[in-house]
Amino acid sequence: MSAPSNANLVVTDLTVRFGGLTAVNRISLTAQAGTITGLLGPNGAGKTTTFNACTGAVAAAHGTISLGRTRLDRYSTARRATLGLGRTFQRMQLFDSMTVAENVAMGPESGFAARRPWGQLFEPRAERVQIVRRRNDAMGRCGISDLAGKIVGELSTGQRRLVELARAIASPFRFLLLDEPSSGLDVSETMHFGQILRDYVADTGVGILLVEHDMALVADVCSYIYVLDFGQLIFEGTTRETLASEIVRAAYLGSDAVEDAISSVRYERADAAEVERVV
Amino acid sequence: MRGVPAVMEASLSQFRYTLHRLTDRQVLLLRVGIAVVLLLGVGAPLAGAYKVWPFVVAGVADGSVYGLAALGLVLTYKTSGMFNLAIGAQAAASAYVFYSLRIVVGLPWPIAAVLCLIGVGLGGALIFERLALWLSDAAPVFRVVTTIGLMVFLQSLLSAAYGPATLTMPAFLPTSIVRIGGVNVSVGQIIIVALGILATATLYLFFRRTRLGVSMQAVVEDPSLLALQATNPDVVRRYAWSIGSCFVSVSGMLVAPAFGVDVNHMLLVFIAAFGAAALASFTSLAGAFTAALAIGIAVNVVSYELSSSANVVVNSFYTQIPFLVLVLALGLLPKRRLAERGAARVRRFKPVRTFPRELVITTSVIAIAAAVAIPYVVTSADIDQYTEAAGFFIILASMGLLLWTSGQISLCHMAFAAVGAVTLGHAEAAGLPWLLGVALAALVALPVGALVAIPSFRLSGTFLAVITFGVGLLFQNLLYTTFLMFGSLGSIDVGRPHVKLFGLDLNGDRGYYFVALVAAAGAALVVVMVRRSRLGRFSRALSDSPQALEAHGTDTRLTRPFVFCISAAMAAVGGAMVAGVTGSASSYQAGSFGYFTSLVIVAVLVFCGRLPLLSPLVAAVVLEVLKIYPPFDRTGYINYQGVIFGVLAIGAAVLPGIKISHLGRRAAQRTDPGRLSARLEFAMDGVAG
Repeated sequence: MSAPSNANLVVTDLTVRFGGLTAVNRISLTAQAGTITGLLGPNGAGKTTTFNACTGAVAAAHGTISLGRTRLDRYSTARRATLGLGRTFQRMQLFDSMTVAENVAMGPESGFAARRPWGQLFEPRAERVQIVRRRNDAMGRCGISDLAGKIVGELSTGQRRLVELARAIASPFRFLLLDEPSSGLDVSETMHFGQILRDYVADTGVGILLVEHDMALVADVCSYIYVLDFGQLIFEGTTRETLASEIVRAAYLGSDAVEDAISSVRYERADAAEVERVV
Repeated sequence: MRGVPAVMEASLSQFRYTLHRLTDRQVLLLRVGIAVVLLLGVGAPLAGAYKVWPFVVAGVADGSVYGLAALGLVLTYKTSGMFNLAIGAQAAASAYVFYSLRIVVGLPWPIAAVLCLIGVGLGGALIFERLALWLSDAAPVFRVVTTIGLMVFLQSLLSAAYGPATLTMPAFLPTSIVRIGGVNVSVGQIIIVALGILATATLYLFFRRTRLGVSMQAVVEDPSLLALQATNPDVVRRYAWSIGSCFVSVSGMLVAPAFGVDVNHMLLVFIAAFGAAALASFTSLAGAFTAALAIGIAVNVVSYELSSSANVVVNSFYTQIPFLVLVLALGLLPKRRLAERGAARVRRFKPVRTFPRELVITTSVIAIAAAVAIPYVVTSADIDQYTEAAGFFIILASMGLLLWTSGQISLCHMAFAAVGAVTLGHAEAAGLPWLLGVALAALVALPVGALVAIPSFRLSGTFLAVITFGVGLLFQNLLYTTFLMFGSLGSIDVGRPHVKLFGLDLNGDRGYYFVALVAAAGAALVVVMVRRSRLGRFSRALSDSPQALEAHGTDTRLTRPFVFCISAAMAAVGGAMVAGVTGSASSYQAGSFGYFTSLVIVAVLVFCGRLPLLSPLVAAVVLEVLKIYPPFDRTGYINYQGVIFGVLAIGAAVLPGIKISHLGRRAAQRTDPGRLSARLEFAMDGVAG
């Protein structure tokens, strides 16, 4: 599998309807390769629906989705993945009966199998070597190599989140959609998670579009942010501009107290990091 | 002209988009409109021209009975997520009890009917409601297995208790005739139709207008959230099952005078209710009743139209209509209309226990040594039973591969076995060597398996089980008696290899045992290889999370059919081995290749565990070997073994779901409000974004 060239994700005029309900209404966004872009909004704003439309899990009523120069919106979910668009899920989707190593290996293995109609039946030795290399690299990057033989269904939420991320980054994706990846993680786990994301983007140049409620993580890793409310794009800007925006505050953050909460979370993390360093 | 296809495609796309946007109410109105147009525009002129009005009237009456059962089916599926495959058996139980009370005990029919309704209707509801509760977060395959277990249990119990003969039930509703539109209609028929329409209308309004009706639909999605709205989900479920179960019970009583009291026949009669429910996407009550009426009319009118044909297949084609409707409806309905109820909260399989390598090797060596020694230590009369067990091991291992590796369920596996047996028989008749015939059996089963697997592109869980059930019935009733399979005699000779190897005549009982043993070892090897291969990993992953697999680039439409085809080919070889034991294979219902055997092997396999090779081995011994040794060789056990299989299968399916939390759920909910709040938050997360 040759190394794919990274690409920007461009969503133009995307509209998704469920019967009479317009869940996403003509939103447009561009997420750059080599950066982490945030997609924020309160519950029900249309973030996951946008992801689902990008990956083809739901049909878009209108609009286009492109990865680099490739239009994705005409293809199935599996085809979009083989063209380079990967994702993780808000409610984790893991292969619970399999080990961590098998889960992570399924990422690149799916990519290889999709190259030929009979790819699911046979496994050339050369592909196995590449799969093992990618798997080990991803597990090492996420710090879960010591869990390789564990059955995934028996892991904690934090470990499962890392397995899902490892599976995504082991795959030859050109762009990643991460849906609330830090949900269920404690403060130190979230810090570790953020560090992995930053390192991965810096090393590979792959772009990430991140849906996340943990504002401290968003503030830490995102360089640009789009904000949705009621299915519409209400704001876009740099992280600093977004966090300072009154519109965003009114629609999403709700009160001035949240800013204090973000600050306090930062202090707690700084303290935790200090404790870890001393220990 | 180049623009014409583009315009057509655009129009089609616009049409699809418009259909996609319709609300459920609009879809219902559209369906009713189409039904009325067809009835008035096509049905009435045809009926008038061909003088089939009496058959239309009879069809409406039959359809109303199917409709009642279909209402019960849809109602309970909507509210519990459990598709009751056993409604035919339940209706038969109702008919038998009604027969006993009315004919044997001599009670007046209204009293017998009420007692039957209480015993079978409400009693059945109590059992189903408990089972549905324990299965509320189980994988669809376990829900299917539970209803199969019930079907096997009831069929075996009723057959053993009442005997195989069809019992005659005199009519109990008024038989006086009135003339409507120039056609004689009995008052009994009018009562049945009125009952069906009244039940449909009442249920329709109940679901739309009452709080309990709305609650019934919510209970399957999240009972905990319903509990937060001060509505007890247990009570809601109990109401739904009570109504549904009573409908099925009533339909069993109503159908008895026309069709006779016969459990095997009733299992088939009530397939019409499955077809009606499928046409209604398993959700619309009015749609299910309307579809049942249409099926009833179609069956009666076609029976009249084709009655003059000399060809038996054409002549009896009307009996296949319900099975065809079921298969076509499930095959053609849009996928979005076939969302599995309650599938969002599925409890995962526990990983299969693995054993130390040394233990596995030692046990395997001992098992192989024992298997080789068997023909030298058992009586020659018993060798055939062991040979048949080896054949069934192959079929069971193929089923296990499908069930536990890819999470699919096939209720037509004995049809694949039959394909294998008849292919070998035809090959031998054509003069081909035995070994080539067996290879051909596997090869022929591949495309047959692929054909049956086509629905698995889009269906899974309950719906795949239902469509394969329909396919199994179609094979048995439509194809088995054709020249392609068993022929009009219903039987075909299947021989053994005419070879001597190391002084052992493979045509003899002992020699053929070793042939079957080698085939079983080959099947075991195939299972191990598939599980360890990329396909095996993909199948397991597909069983765990199809969404994740697709999101990483796997075309899951290919994974399921691949496994299905391999499993079908293995089953075909197993069928060829089984047929070689007696030297012939037959299509008779009591024979090995009947649709009911497909259900029995699923039931037995499930209670024997989820180990890929050991479980099929134990299941084969339970099915074929146990009955030759005391105390299992007694007639009583053999007659009632289906009852035991059914109970054990139900137990195996529901046992993982019976927890202390279920037994003391109400108390736990009262004392732990935080737990429910957490569930509420979790559920809100689910709809967020």
